[in-house]
Amino acid sequence: MNGRRIATVVLVAAALVGLGFLAARSLDLMPEQASTRAVLVDQLFRWLLGVATVIFLIVQGGLLYAVIRFRRRPGDESDGPPIHGNARLEIVWTLIPAVIVALIAFYSFRVLAASEEPEDSPLVVEVSARQFTWQFHYPEAGITSAELHLPVGRQVRFEITSDDVIHSFWIPEFRVKRDATPGQVAELLVTPSQIGRFAIRCAELCGPGHATMTSEVVVDSPADFAAWLAGQRAPAASGDPAQAARASFDRYGCYGCHTLADAQASGSVGPVLDGIGQTAATRVEGLQAQEYLRQSILEPGAFVVPGYADGLMPSNLGERMTPEEIDTLVAYLLSQ
Amino acid sequence: MPKPSLAGRLPSWTRYLWWNTDHKVIGLQYIVTTFIFFLLGGLMAMLIRAELLRPGFDLMNGAEYDRLFTNHGSVMLFLWIIPVLAGFGNYLIPLMIGARDMAFPRLNALSFWLIPPAGLLMLASFFVGGAEAGWTAYVPLSIRGPDGQTLWAISVVILGMSSILGAINFVTTVFTMRAEGMTIWRLPLFVWGILATSLLVLTATPVLAAGLILVAMDRLFGTLFFSVAAGGDPVLWQNIFWFYSHPAVYIMVLPAMGIISEVIPVFARKPLFGYKPIAMSSMAISVLGLTVWAHHMFTSGMDPRLRIPYMISSMVIAVPTGVKFFSWLATMWDGKLRINTPMLFAMGFMSLFVIGGITGIFLASIPIDLHVHDSYFVVAHLHYVLFGGSVSAVYAGLYYWFPKITGRMYDERLGIVHFVLNFLGTSLAYLPQFEAGLLGMPRRVADYADQFTTLNALSSVGAFLLGISTLPFLYNAIVSWATGPKAAANPWRALTLEWTTSSPPPAENFEDIPVVSSGPYDFGQTPAVSPAATPAGGS
Amino acid sequence: MSEHMTSHAEAYRSGRALGLQPLKLGMWLFLASEVMFFGGLISAFLHYKVNNPSTEGALLDVPLVGVNTFVLLTSSFTVVLGLSAIRQGDRRGLVRFLAATVLLGVAFLGGQAYEFVSLYGHGVTLNGSLFGSTFFTLTGFHGLHVLIGLIWALSTLYGALRGRYAADRYEGVEVFGLYWHFVDVVWIVLFTIIYLV
Repeated sequence: MNGRRIATVVLVAAALVGLGFLAARSLDLMPEQASTRAVLVDQLFRWLLGVATVIFLIVQGGLLYAVIRFRRRPGDESDGPPIHGNARLEIVWTLIPAVIVALIAFYSFRVLAASEEPEDSPLVVEVSARQFTWQFHYPEAGITSAELHLPVGRQVRFEITSDDVIHSFWIPEFRVKRDATPGQVAELLVTPSQIGRFAIRCAELCGPGHATMTSEVVVDSPADFAAWLAGQRAPAASGDPAQAARASFDRYGCYGCHTLADAQASGSVGPVLDGIGQTAATRVEGLQAQEYLRQSILEPGAFVVPGYADGLMPSNLGERMTPEEIDTLVAYLLSQ
Repeated sequence: MPKPSLAGRLPSWTRYLWWNTDHKVIGLQYIVTTFIFFLLGGLMAMLIRAELLRPGFDLMNGAEYDRLFTNHGSVMLFLWIIPVLAGFGNYLIPLMIGARDMAFPRLNALSFWLIPPAGLLMLASFFVGGAEAGWTAYVPLSIRGPDGQTLWAISVVILGMSSILGAINFVTTVFTMRAEGMTIWRLPLFVWGILATSLLVLTATPVLAAGLILVAMDRLFGTLFFSVAAGGDPVLWQNIFWFYSHPAVYIMVLPAMGIISEVIPVFARKPLFGYKPIAMSSMAISVLGLTVWAHHMFTSGMDPRLRIPYMISSMVIAVPTGVKFFSWLATMWDGKLRINTPMLFAMGFMSLFVIGGITGIFLASIPIDLHVHDSYFVVAHLHYVLFGGSVSAVYAGLYYWFPKITGRMYDERLGIVHFVLNFLGTSLAYLPQFEAGLLGMPRRVADYADQFTTLNALSSVGAFLLGISTLPFLYNAIVSWATGPKAAANPWRALTLEWTTSSPPPAENFEDIPVVSSGPYDFGQTPAVSPAATPAGGS
Repeated sequence: MSEHMTSHAEAYRSGRALGLQPLKLGMWLFLASEVMFFGGLISAFLHYKVNNPSTEGALLDVPLVGVNTFVLLTSSFTVVLGLSAIRQGDRRGLVRFLAATVLLGVAFLGGQAYEFVSLYGHGVTLNGSLFGSTFFTLTGFHGLHVLIGLIWALSTLYGALRGRYAADRYEGVEVFGLYWHFVDVVWIVLFTIIYLV
């Protein structure tokens, strides 16, 4: 290889690396960083993006260059030179990728280790997934909620399981995901680093309601979080039955499948409940609206609405809900 | 040896409609049948992307959507890409090694004839509730789903059997029926690709069959393999499933890469750079491919430490893959490139597959995977490697061997139009999906948050463009086959054995079995080495 | 790339140089895939045996099935003897030993049936427990393979009676033998992991 050749290679390599750096620094492809892990992951991602850009440019550039420079000249029917290989070159392009891959693996390992380093006294939150809702239980505080609230800056240990099929607990802004598998509990450690509201999405196909199995994590200041927790412990003494009914609608997961504007629910697996107060009376000949609603809750397969699938609505609400909760909910639905 | 046909009164094309032991007939039966399934799977894709054009459940509800993408994936993988490559293998291998047919012609015919009933069974599943658990059929969801899921499982088992029987035939044929002088190191690289693939088919497919039988038994006989209440473990299914389904993706790409290795030297008029390393890289990818499956399970709650070796092996696969890419580029370097349609698609393969391959490294990195697993990032990755990659290679092969198989030449301008539409459509359809995944859009959803609307709209337009791009190909293929200009024995002046016989080849492939005295890509010799003209079907 | 040579049917059997015959190579490859099939079933069985141990394992009749194992092993031996016989041109010997193989195979299946019925009698059923599911599925599929082998054995026996095989023509017996030995080896593995460990 003569000096000209070497200079060209060095120049091209430098240009590629420069472009790689440029891409890595300027391309903002990730969502907001809301956990300490997210910062590490995004940094790793940027490095990979830089390397990827270089490889991408080599291949695309090589192809374009070849098409232009080595295109057959019209009338030239001869073959190219009979070159079968070049041992040194082949060793180089085997070793360099091997080294790059080893570095990436090592760096990834370091990020993983740092991300999953357990801290003292994390906040434990038990996550249970069921078709198609998320429930959060705070064992220390002894409360269960359909909402996930977390204090900023404190490590959370999620203990994740499912009551039916496999779901997956994903918070994109935290950069974490863990499957919710029935019969097993999976641990996930993460420390929220931003106050705000971030999406929770189900990331494992779990049935017709998979797309709408979403929720929200509310990251509060420690003081606000404590206040929320206290508020959950003392159930609302407000005599507002509609409020209590809406709380049941949340707690028992109705929002995952039903649309009910007044409860801000937009599930699409089960029948729409807007206006159910009127239609309930007309659904079954001779059956009062109130009875229809009560039976539909306790025995979901009793009156399956045409166009909807049987077997998806939980059939054990009668055991899980108190009689007062059922009464309140039925009364509330009658008013919709 | 093929018996003389007694269908004297029927037009000769009807022999493609029933049992025939000639590998060329079988190969074509495979290719045409699987292409029909490709079009069906493509229609499903159009419906999917129409639904995803806007957020909300516009055209269908959640269950119907689940059925749609489950069948789209299953049809594309099991009824299109895996068997079409086997079809190429069937047609080409005896010709490429200088044999008159495969080792087991009747087994060969059986391998094909398992496919139409299995395909119909999978489609019939729609009439009994459909399969709704994705092509991955995770338990317990797939145990609980509608009856169609059972039909789906049986269909996949049958297709697996077809695949295994094919692999037995390929390996036996290559090891016992090569012409004199066709040493292992003179085998065309497409044959190496099929050999490497056959190793995976024989090793991994039976494991999937076992798993599917367990699922079917849980559904039909109430066994408790995946019953959580009885102590069943849903993660066991994931291990069994992915033990096959990861090697499966190499089954879907190794023969495709073999096609690329055939096309590039011919259209660069240069020997293939690094023949042995490329051959060995196919075997390396094959063997390594059996060790990486748990990278699909990083979020499953598996033992955290156990994830590391899978990350490493998954990344290591990039090295032999890189060897191929650099060798292909080096083959083109200083060549005399002819940019015909096969070459366009071969370069398109390289351009698109590299994006899929690189994003595979992202996915192999556990911290990144914990974010993008089961998101649209994965959907983009898999379509880049399978559609941008394997399907481009299939098109390259279809155009390249079109004259050999049909005896006629296709229209070059339509081929270029097809390529351009395909390349643009692929890029527009799948590039935005990476960003959708990074921003938080899960896969297998018909409804999504408003922030993903633009990305989805772009992707859907790209997909519709892809749908349209098949039209010039279909027109070209059908009309050229019927009325295209007659093709010579070797219009590309290639050096592999299938080009030494007429286009199309006679019933017994060669008038006289060739004796081989040089390699398959020995371009550039002076005087120019080209196959000597044979008396029958000369060039 | 090529010169011409008048072809004979044998000319393209280059595999002869490696001593590979297509039928036997094909059978070996098929058996390799069968090994992986049983591997899938075995891994499910072992996964649950290790992670969900069951007391029902105590109901397995080790001595009975141990004898049964010996029966199956002997049937493999008779296949070897039969092959050795036909290699020396002894057609009657082949017939005798193939018949013995069939009888021993039937006895094996009978023994398995007895074990199945007795387990059912004790309440261990296919869908009654995880143990039942894994046990009956694994041994059931093996039994199915034995049954297929028996049908093949009968067909080979029939061929032997009709003089299909000779001292220079016994590949069919060899290929059958390969399958039958495979079924035997699988059983040894199954017996070990189900009954002995």
